[in-house]
Amino acid sequence: MDPVLVGQGLLSGVLFGGVYSLMAVGLTLIFGVMRVVNFAHGDMMVWGMYLAFVLATRAGVDPYLGFVLCAAALFGLGLAVQRGLVDRVVDAPHEMQILLMLGVALVLENTALLAFGPEPARVRTPLAAVTWFVGPLYVDVARLLAFVVAVVLTGLLYAFLFRTDLGRTIRAAADNVYGALVIGTDVRRVYAVAFGVGAACVGAAGALVSPILPFQPSTGLTLSITSFNIVIIGGMGSLPGAFVGGLLVSVAESLGAVFLRPSLKELVSFSLLILILLLRPAGLFGRRAP
Amino acid sequence: MDRRTILKAAGAGAAVAGFPVVLRAQPKSFKIGVVHPVTGPLAEPGQACRLGAQMAAEAINAAGGIKSLGGMKLELLVGDTQTKPDVGRAEAERVVNQGAQMLVGSFDSGSTAAMVPVAQQRRIPFLVDIAAADPITANVAKSVKEGQQKVQYVYRNFPTGSQFGRKAVQYFTEIFKAAGVSPKRVVLMYCNDLFGQNQARGFQAAQKAAKAPWEIVDVIPWPEPPSDLSTEVSRAKAARPDVISPITRPASAQLLLPEIRKQRVEILGIVGPGSPGLYEAGQLAALKEDLEYVLTSVPWANFKNRKTVAVADEYRKRSGGKTFDTNSGYSYDAMLIIADVLERARSTDPDAIVGALKQTNFTDGLMQYGGPVVFNELGDNPNAVPTMIQILGQKPVAVWPREAAVQKFVFPRPRA
Repeated sequence: MDPVLVGQGLLSGVLFGGVYSLMAVGLTLIFGVMRVVNFAHGDMMVWGMYLAFVLATRAGVDPYLGFVLCAAALFGLGLAVQRGLVDRVVDAPHEMQILLMLGVALVLENTALLAFGPEPARVRTPLAAVTWFVGPLYVDVARLLAFVVAVVLTGLLYAFLFRTDLGRTIRAAADNVYGALVIGTDVRRVYAVAFGVGAACVGAAGALVSPILPFQPSTGLTLSITSFNIVIIGGMGSLPGAFVGGLLVSVAESLGAVFLRPSLKELVSFSLLILILLLRPAGLFGRRAP
Repeated sequence: MDRRTILKAAGAGAAVAGFPVVLRAQPKSFKIGVVHPVTGPLAEPGQACRLGAQMAAEAINAAGGIKSLGGMKLELLVGDTQTKPDVGRAEAERVVNQGAQMLVGSFDSGSTAAMVPVAQQRRIPFLVDIAAADPITANVAKSVKEGQQKVQYVYRNFPTGSQFGRKAVQYFTEIFKAAGVSPKRVVLMYCNDLFGQNQARGFQAAQKAAKAPWEIVDVIPWPEPPSDLSTEVSRAKAARPDVISPITRPASAQLLLPEIRKQRVEILGIVGPGSPGLYEAGQLAALKEDLEYVLTSVPWANFKNRKTVAVADEYRKRSGGKTFDTNSGYSYDAMLIIADVLERARSTDPDAIVGALKQTNFTDGLMQYGGPVVFNELGDNPNAVPTMIQILGQKPVAVWPREAAVQKFVFPRPRA
């Protein structure tokens, strides 16, 4: 096997993995706090992409700056979805929540279809066209930037959850909702913030990949499935798990394309999922269910 | 006002409007189930197909409908496969239950294959406007031949994967020769779905059969839709290709072409054996210079025909600036062929329609054909051939074969 190809696969995999991580962090946060599986996750990401697209084409805002606005807008969307819909089914059986979120996904997908049409789009930015050559390897600057921002944002999120009062409250409510209620926590507010922050992460992730990954209204499903795969590998609800899981899945797919046929690379990531479920049913960083 | 004066007034009104005064029942319409992927990953070509079919039906109706059936009008019952074979089948069932007397569809081979059993079981003639996978018609022909089924209801006016392959290999070799260069190493890259696999297989088989003076040195399939193609392109680069031959879908083309540029793969050109993603208006807007000089062998509209130019103009207006291309064009032609078939069948009985389909010899199509539209023993039209087009000045233009070309090709592509 050509060592350059393996090195390139590893490098590309790690850089793209940053975005996978950021996308999964949002999903795991929402699940970790309120035990709701957000099946509209991928479609929210697609909306992040379209917002970045609109900002870039209408206002000339580069997605590497515009991601902040996309995150803010998705925070609002997340908040609204939580307050208006999810709040009503937080205590309902899982299948109710799943149906609700699938409905939200359908609405988001079809609204995008109406608003933007069916053509695949991609954000054009001068930075996304730049590549650096380091010896025989090439570094895609768009991926590098997405990776760096994803790492920084995950770090900030971690700091928010572990260093701020609101973050500690969110964790407390996630750990023991009745305990949190007893000490007078406004759990509905905590849930809304957590859902908003989760959506903001995926909004930022969407904007950051919009110059790399073409998207169309139907892209959401694939992204949701990949996110679930990552989150289950990392351990449902675990932030470090989502981060490491994102890198692992991306590198596994990339190396799968090098060592096997590229068309089998998804088989590699899902085999990884099965392997981890066999060895550590709670995922890499997951705690065993009580 | 009594009944007689009302009738008189109505008669006068009809005469003024130019209708025959003969007071007989309006002819019933002929219902056609037109099922395409109008949502989902292939929504863009699917919507183009639907609009093409609608425009053709309107034109046929405006010209007086099916004259041999008393001016019978075509009525479209549209369906959406959502780019999912199971939905395609359900939609075919639905439109048939609503009275569809013929089926047209459905762009992607997977959904089209899923619609075939509906046509065969319900005795509904099915004209496949677009779908290239060989087995779609071949399997039905085989079971009819072996006596498992009585009648073949499935016909196709679109090149099959193997036709695509033969023509692509022929065009590649002719263009390389005419350009005076001799590329040796071709890397084939394709989307790993039914269409992509069939297309790739046809291309490889034709290359072997034609003993082409160039070689396919590596074959790289990717899962469709892909999330990333960087490793695939690195693999292609490692094979030191002279030419990259992609079989794409629109979204995968948007990943693949920038990646080829970013990794600075030094090639003489990108020459595709036929796929969407390399010529649509949306793709040109998104990919811009990455598409410049890309060649691809696709079924194309015959712009030397004045009627095609006029329809293309109208299509541009109604679609918000899109090119009348493979998708809109073949769906448009499907309606013209159905009108011709009904005209000759003089009946809406399924077996009479099949009889007339088999006798088809139609020359008024808007696409580029290698002869009149006819259907062979498999139900395929051997004269449905692709044309080599190239993106020149950000527009797709026919460049090969010479009789179809409206501009000279540029190969090898200029160095950036």
